[in-house]
Amino acid sequence: MMRRTPSTSGEDQEPKFPSPSGKDREPKFPSPSGGGQGGGTGGTQGYYDHPVVRRPVWTWEVPAYFWLGGLGAGAFVTASLAQTFGSADDRRVAAEGFYVAAAALAPCAPLLIADLGRPDRFHHMLRIFKPLSPMNLGAWTLTGLTPVAFARAASHAADTGLLRGALRALARLAPRRLLEVTGSVLGLVLAGYSGVLLGATNVPLWAKSKLLGGVFMASALSSGSAAVTLQAANRGAPEATLHRLAAVESAASLGEMAVITGYLLQSGRAARPLTTGRFAPPFWIGAIGAGTLLPLLLHRLTRRRHGRTLRSLSTAAALCSMAGSLALRWSIFEAGKESSEDQAASFDLSKA
Amino acid sequence: MIDGYKRLMNLEDPLPPKKAKGFFTDTSLCIGCKACEVACKQWNQLPADGFAITGNSYDNTGHLGATTWRHVQFIEQARANGRQEQRWLMMSDVCKHCANAACLEACPTGALVRTEFDTVYVQQDICNGCGFCVPACPFGVIDRVPKESTFEVGTAHKCTLCYDRLKDDMTPACAKSCPTASIQFGDVEELQQRARERLGELKARGESTARLYGVAEGKEAVEVGPLHAFFLLLDRPQAYNLPEVPRLPRKTMAERYGWSAAVGIAFAMAAALVFRGGRR
Repeated sequence: MMRRTPSTSGEDQEPKFPSPSGKDREPKFPSPSGGGQGGGTGGTQGYYDHPVVRRPVWTWEVPAYFWLGGLGAGAFVTASLAQTFGSADDRRVAAEGFYVAAAALAPCAPLLIADLGRPDRFHHMLRIFKPLSPMNLGAWTLTGLTPVAFARAASHAADTGLLRGALRALARLAPRRLLEVTGSVLGLVLAGYSGVLLGATNVPLWAKSKLLGGVFMASALSSGSAAVTLQAANRGAPEATLHRLAAVESAASLGEMAVITGYLLQSGRAARPLTTGRFAPPFWIGAIGAGTLLPLLLHRLTRRRHGRTLRSLSTAAALCSMAGSLALRWSIFEAGKESSEDQAASFDLSKA
Repeated sequence: MIDGYKRLMNLEDPLPPKKAKGFFTDTSLCIGCKACEVACKQWNQLPADGFAITGNSYDNTGHLGATTWRHVQFIEQARANGRQEQRWLMMSDVCKHCANAACLEACPTGALVRTEFDTVYVQQDICNGCGFCVPACPFGVIDRVPKESTFEVGTAHKCTLCYDRLKDDMTPACAKSCPTASIQFGDVEELQQRARERLGELKARGESTARLYGVAEGKEAVEVGPLHAFFLLLDRPQAYNLPEVPRLPRKTMAERYGWSAAVGIAFAMAAALVFRGGRR
């Protein structure tokens, strides 16, 4: 059911016909609940309570893909940065992040394909290169990043002796540094385009603020670095490396909080379906509480801890951050669908 | 080499452009007969949408969608413009065929194209139903057929401006069927001229709130450009559920990518510093 619209127009304030009572109506077009003083029909500014834009047709596969794609991309970027700038321990431990990246990216293409109205025509995305369309750019980026992540993961598997024989010899041929640089660039594009894609619509919650791309980018990097930490904590990483990974994660979480604050402030009224509606609990408790505040707190607690306590706290923080990232994508995605039916928010978005 | 590539990829040159075609929908002449809706459904073989009673005046169509390409609105106003008598506005809504079309720019497959008549058209054999055009359209026109439908499952649909009829120099079905010339079809330039004359006529008769929606000089054309299907309205655009300034997502895309990149680069720099600090 949509929210009622307060009238803002100064002109055409004459009373209109009261709208018929709701009980004889088809549920398809819910009735406005009363007369109202709007400039339009049935007490709203516009045409009855009809939405201005169409409701997005996407289903759960899309937020799941954004989450996993962002997580995989974030893990790849974190692991690559450790290869370039880290100590020998950091490099060894963080290289496990390439496994995480490959594992997270593997289901992305199937999810993206499953959401299409005609999954058999997925390859039509790749019949042209059209970066003007974020959807096209994303399809190409995913197509590029997935093999790069698998090749880099295979190269690490060859190093650690997980691969043997001919496969090992083949995997050792992979140009590691080149894969890391290419994959990091593609990873940042994949982590960053999804919020821009949603923003490049006329759905008020997604489009009103220009920061949604930044929000998803920060969420991808915090969950991706968290996934690397999770793997590291359970593979017996040195404590110094765990502390550094915690610092990287905290930086991402702090950034995430800052961008989300800006996003909510800029969105104003358009954010209501997210901040007060059905999706408020997953957003405030899941995305904000579990996704950013709790990991920051846990990381603070790990500062002077050692051994098992450190590993448990790091694991808990990482799991919270990853779950929070999913809650963020899902709640913004679903609340966006609701927002598309908010006639007043649409008029606000299109105000001169 | 380009010729070889085109042969290899089976590419054809675009058809030579013709004069831009469009609709001028003069809502002051609309009597709400819905002949346009029926003619559109019949010619384009679109399935019925069921028999829902909305309770919103005589509008039982609801909204434009994948299988509804003309939609007659009924706006009941008891008193308007300080007049004491009731006013009943009718308007046959349709795809606007924007000069800068958000749906076309969003389309990742190239299924949405601009035809030689400067109209926006979905190629049904290309569309893979990604659904991006649906929320991209600032007017809520284009929609995707549900996957469990019996009609063109899973692809996006909207008014084609009867592309097939245009090919044969015929008038689109809705304009042909309109009994009051509320829907006028022709060359966009000529229609705009006609619309301006009609507006002057109405203004002279005291219709002070009459206005054109979708001509180049209007606020609504700032981002999406002139609409090739444009309107003469008797009230504010919002009364017809039309946005004051329809937004073209492309206009803010660079800024959006910029913020996204800023966050990514800041993270990379922070992480590099942290990892560096651990090096002996």
